[in-house]
This record gives sequence, structure tokens and C-alpha cells, in this order.
Amino acid sequence: MFHIKVSLFAHTKELEQKIDELHDKIVEISMVFKKAFHLFLEEKRSMNYRKLSKQIKTIEHDADVLRRDIESQLYAQNLIPDFRGDVLELVENLDKVINEFDEVAHQFYIENPDIPEIYHQKMKQLVQEVCECAENLAFASRAFFKDFTAVRNYSQKVYFLEHESDKTTAKLKEAIFASDLELAHKLQLKTFLSEVADIADLAENCVDQLLIYVIKRDI
Amino acid sequence: MSLTYLFFLSSGLFLGWSLGANDVSNIFGAAVGSKMLKFKTAAVIASVFIIIGAVFGGSGTTQTLSMLGEVNALAGSFMVALSAALTVYFMAKTGLTTSTSQAIVGGIIGWNLYAGKATNLTVLAKIMSGWVICPLLSGLIAVALYFLLKTFINKMHIHILMQHQLLRLGLILSGAFCTYALGANNIANVMGVFVDSAPFQTVSAGFFTFSPEQILFFLGAVAISVGIFTYSQKVMATIGNHLMKMSPFIAFIVVLSQALVLFLFSSSSLHDALLALHLPAFPLVPVSSTQAVIGAILGIGLLKGGRGINWSIVLRIVAGWFTTPVATLLICFVSLFFLENVFQLKVFLP
Repeated sequence: MFHIKVSLFAHTKELEQKIDELHDKIVEISMVFKKAFHLFLEEKRSMNYRKLSKQIKTIEHDADVLRRDIESQLYAQNLIPDFRGDVLELVENLDKVINEFDEVAHQFYIENPDIPEIYHQKMKQLVQEVCECAENLAFASRAFFKDFTAVRNYSQKVYFLEHESDKTTAKLKEAIFASDLELAHKLQLKTFLSEVADIADLAENCVDQLLIYVIKRDI
Repeated sequence: MSLTYLFFLSSGLFLGWSLGANDVSNIFGAAVGSKMLKFKTAAVIASVFIIIGAVFGGSGTTQTLSMLGEVNALAGSFMVALSAALTVYFMAKTGLTTSTSQAIVGGIIGWNLYAGKATNLTVLAKIMSGWVICPLLSGLIAVALYFLLKTFINKMHIHILMQHQLLRLGLILSGAFCTYALGANNIANVMGVFVDSAPFQTVSAGFFTFSPEQILFFLGAVAISVGIFTYSQKVMATIGNHLMKMSPFIAFIVVLSQALVLFLFSSSSLHDALLALHLPAFPLVPVSSTQAVIGAILGIGLLKGGRGINWSIVLRIVAGWFTTPVATLLICFVSLFFLENVFQLKVFLP
């Protein structure tokens, strides 16, 4: 009996570890994405960028494996039946953020857009805000599993950064469409801007749900 | 044990069956309903601990009940238990909060009146004070436990998954403790009136020696277990969450509060220890496990601002204090008359 209980707790520890690792993947992918984007602005579609893009793909794949493991183990061990659905939804949403990073990085690699230098600074600022937003989502979600009071603090940061990224995107779009670039070029840059900003939007949606889960779970 | 005795005992066994079907759903209903525990696991734990509690801890409350009225004829005991069982059954059908403890007290007083025996008013007052204190105390304990455990969880930053596992373990342990206490406290309701007429011999089994009273309690506890296995799952499914939708955490607090209250009102050792320390001791009286649950839920509900509390349930508790014993008393009195005059059975010894 004692052995069974100990091994049950060991399985739970293993699952806790996997949930932690999934959060680590968000922070990791965000940092690699930032590095890759800076490199893209300097070198465009270079071998170095390709390596970073592959690294992003690997992180995304690892996160998928973790997500599937977490989902199946939650059912297999019959854990948290009363709010398993919420946790599964949260894990799915975290994975969507990771997928978006991968998609945007891959899109840069495929389309290899020409980004005029005058927009570089603002673009870096946008990526910085979006990445910080995703990282704070990871912190908020990690806190959800251990410390409810901290969720609110990180969530406020996500809201603030998402709002800032919206403003930066709007300014950039305005500047691009006021420029002498070809319409096709303008539209391509606009699409990229929207895709980068989408990462922050996904993080914001995820935090919205997270705060509802906190209210539901407040014992 | 003769067939006649078994026939007369059947009303007590029926009362035990309904106790198992209804009261155990209060203990494990939320845990099974929220899928924290499987029904079979809950039923096995409940049955084992009910039997242990009844056989080894049931004497205290039984003594109090026999001080209220010593039902001295088997046919009389049969009718006291049957009238209690019928009242509980019909009250439950009409949705009124009731308890076997209150019903059996009404039945014994009914028998006292019919047999012309005096009812010990001091004992009656002691028993009734237990009914009032039980939900109040349960509410207070639940509030204290809620504060303590919530602070502990918030301070310790325990991972949600580990919290869940600990909670599951807590539900099993508190459920076991609670069913033990339920067996100890409520077996008097089921079998108490048959103690004087028990035809058993003392039995020795290894280290243990079982008195006739304990053998009788064992039979009653087996009837409770049958109630658990045959009907409590249905009760859990239909009324499991009707008082208030409970999270597993709240369910754990409610079960633990209920267990502590039942234990306080049934532990002879604790009673003696408190008296030895010159402290006021809890009366050893059978109390209602349902009302202990309601008290605990109301306590937590009030702590959370009183939203969502169904105040009509509070009124039902108070109404139950009067309607259940009075109804049982009337049924018992009238039925004893028929039993004696129509069936020519001796329902009391002068």
C-alpha cells in the first residue's frame, strides 16, 4: 500500500516536471525567436538564420510531445477530474503560442521579406514586446499551478505589453502605408506585422482564460 | 438465533439499511460525484470502518438511549425500530431533513408512553441539546478547518497536482474516520432497542472477546454495509450535491468536520478523559450525520458571504427537531396498540 502511494506521488512529480518543461519551452522559444529576428534583419535568409529557424522547429516539436504526454497522463492517472478540462485547455493554448512563434519564423524563412532599415528599430521594439508578453504568459501560467496570487501580477504585465505591441504595430503600419514602397511590398510587411502581433494576442487570450480558472479554483 | 428473533430484528436491520443508503452518501457523495474516488473504493472503506466503529465504539451512545427508555420486550423493540424506519423513509420521500437519531428517540418515548414508563427528562434534554449543538459545532469546526487549510495551502505553494493527490488521500482517510464515527455514534439508533433482548453468547476470537451487544452491533453494521452497497450509489447520484455544489477541498472539510463532531459525541474514552480533567464533556448521544453535514456547509457558506445558501434548509433542520420525533412517537404509539390488541403480542414487560 505504502509502495503504491509512493509510486503514485512519483508519477505526479513526473507530470509536474513536464508541465514545468512546457513553460520553459515558451521562454526558450521566445528568446530564440528574438535572436533569430535580429539575425534576419542583419543577414536575411542566411545559414545562421536557417539554424535558428530549425532550433525553433525543434522546440515546437518538443512542446507538442510534452503537451500530448501531459494530456494523456492527466487522464491515465485520473488527476484533477474537477478541472481537468480547464488545464487541458490551458495546455492547448500555451501550445498555440509556441506554434505561432514557429509559424512566423518559418514564414520569414520562406518569404524572405525585404524590411527597409528605417523600420528596423520599431520592428525590434515590437518583437521585444511580443516576446516579453509571451514570457510573462509562461510565468503567469506556471504560477497558476503553484501560487494563485502571482497569476494576477504577471497577467497585468501581459495585458500591458499586448497593448504596447498593438500601438507599435499600428504606428509601423501607418508608417509603411505612408511610404513610397510598392503596394504588394506594403501588404507583405503588413501581414508579417500582424502575424508577429498575433503572438501577443494569443498570449492575452490565454491570460484571460487563466484568470477565469483562478476565480473558479479559488477554494 | 431463532427465526422469530430474526423477524423482530428485521425492522432494526431495515433501519440500518436505510442509514447505510442515506448517511454514507453524505460522507462519500462529493468525493465519488467529483470522481476523486471510485464508488467501490468508497463502499469498501465505508463498510469496513462502519463495522469497526459499531462493534468497538458503539456502547456509549447505546447506554444513553437505554437510559431514555429500556425497551424490554422484543415485539416492542421491533415496533420502535419500525416506526423510526418508516418515519425516516417517508420524511426523506417528502424531502424533509430527518435523522434516524431523532426518529428513534421519538419511538422510545412513544413506547414509554404506551408502556406507562416514565421518560427520563434529564437524558432527553441531554439528547436534544446534542441535536442543536451538533450542526452548530460542525459549522464552527468547518470554518476553523477552512481557515487553517487554506492558509496552509496558500503559504506552502503546493503544486495543483500534488494538492489533488493529497486531497484524494485526505478524502479517503477522513471518510474512513467519518464512517468509523458514524458506526460508533449511530449504531445505537439501529440496534440500541434490541440490546436488552439479544439472545447471543459471548464469543472469543483470538485476541478479541465479543459481547452479545457487540455481536448485535455487528449484525446492524452489516445491514448498514448492505445499504451502502445496494442503494447509496443511487442516493449519491440523486442528492449528492443538492445542498451546495462542493469542490473536493470543501468536501474534505465537510467530511472531516462531520467526523470530528460524530466522534466527539460518541467517544467514551474522550468523554472520560475530559471529565477526569474537570472539563465539560460532550454528551454521548446519537446525533444526525446529515445535520452535521448541513452545519458544516452552512458554516463555510456563511464564511464566503452567505451567497447561495438555501435558508429553507435551515428551517427544515429546525422543523426536523420537532416533526421527526413527534411523528415517530405517534406511529409507534398507535402501532404498539395494534400489535398488542390485534396480534396479541407482548410489547412491554411490566
